[in-house]
Amino acid sequence: MEKFFISKSAFNSFIKEISRDFAAFYLKDKAATFDWRENRRKLLYWQKYEGSLEGLSMAGVRAQDSLKQFVFSSKEKVSQDFNDPNNKKKPVLLIGAKNCDLRGLDITDFVFMQGDFKDPFYIKKREDMFIIASDCTNPLGTCFCMALDIQPYPEKNYDLGLCDIRDGYVVEVETQKARNYIAQYKDKFSMASNAQLKMRDELREAAASDVAYNVAKYGVPKKNELKGVVEKCFESQIWKDEAKTCVECGCCNFICPTCHCFFLGDSSEKNEHIRHKIWDACLYKDFAVVAGGANPRKRLFQRLRNRYDKKFAFFPNVLGVIACTGCGRCITGCPGKIDIRRILKNMAAEAKAAA
Amino acid sequence: MEKNPYNPFKVKLIDVIEESQTTKTFVFKNMNGGFSFNTGQFVELYVPGLGEAPFTPSSNPAIKEQFDITIMKVGKVTQKLHSLAKNTELGVRGPYGKGYPLQNFKGKEIYIVGGGVGLAPLRSLLFALLNNKGDYKKIMLRYGARAPKDIIYRELVQEWQKEKDIDIRLTVDVCDETWKGNVGVVTTILDKKDVNIDNAVAIVCGPPIMMKFATFKLIEMGFKDSQIYLSMEKNMSCGVGKCGHCRIGNFYCCKDGPVFTYDQISGFKEIWD
Repeated sequence: MEKFFISKSAFNSFIKEISRDFAAFYLKDKAATFDWRENRRKLLYWQKYEGSLEGLSMAGVRAQDSLKQFVFSSKEKVSQDFNDPNNKKKPVLLIGAKNCDLRGLDITDFVFMQGDFKDPFYIKKREDMFIIASDCTNPLGTCFCMALDIQPYPEKNYDLGLCDIRDGYVVEVETQKARNYIAQYKDKFSMASNAQLKMRDELREAAASDVAYNVAKYGVPKKNELKGVVEKCFESQIWKDEAKTCVECGCCNFICPTCHCFFLGDSSEKNEHIRHKIWDACLYKDFAVVAGGANPRKRLFQRLRNRYDKKFAFFPNVLGVIACTGCGRCITGCPGKIDIRRILKNMAAEAKAAA
Repeated sequence: MEKNPYNPFKVKLIDVIEESQTTKTFVFKNMNGGFSFNTGQFVELYVPGLGEAPFTPSSNPAIKEQFDITIMKVGKVTQKLHSLAKNTELGVRGPYGKGYPLQNFKGKEIYIVGGGVGLAPLRSLLFALLNNKGDYKKIMLRYGARAPKDIIYRELVQEWQKEKDIDIRLTVDVCDETWKGNVGVVTTILDKKDVNIDNAVAIVCGPPIMMKFATFKLIEMGFKDSQIYLSMEKNMSCGVGKCGHCRIGNFYCCKDGPVFTYDQISGFKEIWD
């Protein structure tokens, strides 16, 4: 596959050109000072592009909030007086998406685009979206993607893949849509030199060794060691112990790139009956309650366990994919300091001891 | 755009029939045509602006012009439904899920165990079975209600008893002076002498606790897990396998059920709660 190089100034003008067709968002370091190798441990956010890429962090880590919000909004109108709502919005252009979020799309794509019934709202946004992904060259201490066979650079579910090599970006072209843009703006791109590619490879190796260090430090089990562990540890004390500090805030659900549960909320506005599709959280007490009042998961530890059951048993069983990408967001987001790495480690150890 | 699965179609409430103090049957007509469903499938019934809830139609699936839903007053949506008068416009999505696999029942004895308002989906099933009654060796209904006043479809049940197409036994948990039949929970009227288990299927529908003990009793009587069909009740919100609320192990109750054989789900935890 051909690999290109684009300078940072050319990239800025490339974005200026193509963003006309989109609502564009880029990864921004909210700290004013920014240097390509000094944004380690800094928190990044999705910033709406309004003509300038000021504070862009292409080389940093994933954003605090996952990219699922761009295909699956926290609250979206799905019905209006028995009709399809008019949700016309510009397609989304993302700049700087990381592989942990791209791999999260494996799960949400399966949920919303497969099966007898499909979600037209998700499909529209997903198909119209253009994703400029980039290598994660500064993983955080909470990153453990590689334990789950996910690399800290784009593997799939993107259009253009970039790696920040200080003076510009090495560019990998993944889709025909991206190829068309390159052809249209070919004067901005040159072929990547061997030296540039080598620089990219070195950055990838450095990032991989950072993640490998995390995985080893926290003893996160590998993907193959997680097979069947939730089933084996279903009655384990782990869940009761871990649930002690859970405050049912739902942060782990909302911040997760693969959590996709929602409810349909009905209301009336100005004589119109509106239905919204709204993010829900399986940690909430009423999540599985039925009208008669029965609740299959009355106790908090059952709901905490359910989240792991869904990610590490249900999805491997029905799709062959673990619904966790090792992004580490739930670790930093949890006010109760519940650490997925610790739970996975303890489960794998218990399952092994029982075998 | 792909068809929007979250958008209901309009129905008109054309009749309301009181079944018991807490239960009414609502008769609906699709305002833009007919409505077809397989017995055991469910719909999401929508009160505009308020919310929706899942119900299994209780009418004969051979009738396409209108359909019935029998509803007990328990929650926000059902409270509102009980206050509605004829000609109100409501919404419906569906039918969803897999119904009863009638083709698997051919030539067999059908042993139906119902509890409380669980007789509603079973009424639809019984109509469907009677539509082709020659296909089945024997049809039996074992039904339990909390008290005589809670028995729904009383006249229909009496009619069925007279016609002898269905072998019926009834019980109540608590009797009153009007009651001359059996007193006790539904498992007390399940008897292996009544049924040739080698050539039978059992169908259970009712409140979770009743389903649990009826299933255990059927197994004790000699039914295999694969012969027991359960109509599971979970929080089916979207109805189309997306929203995540009604998961049972590796299944979603809405799209893979709501009818499951016990062997499909017996390996998962928390199924009766």
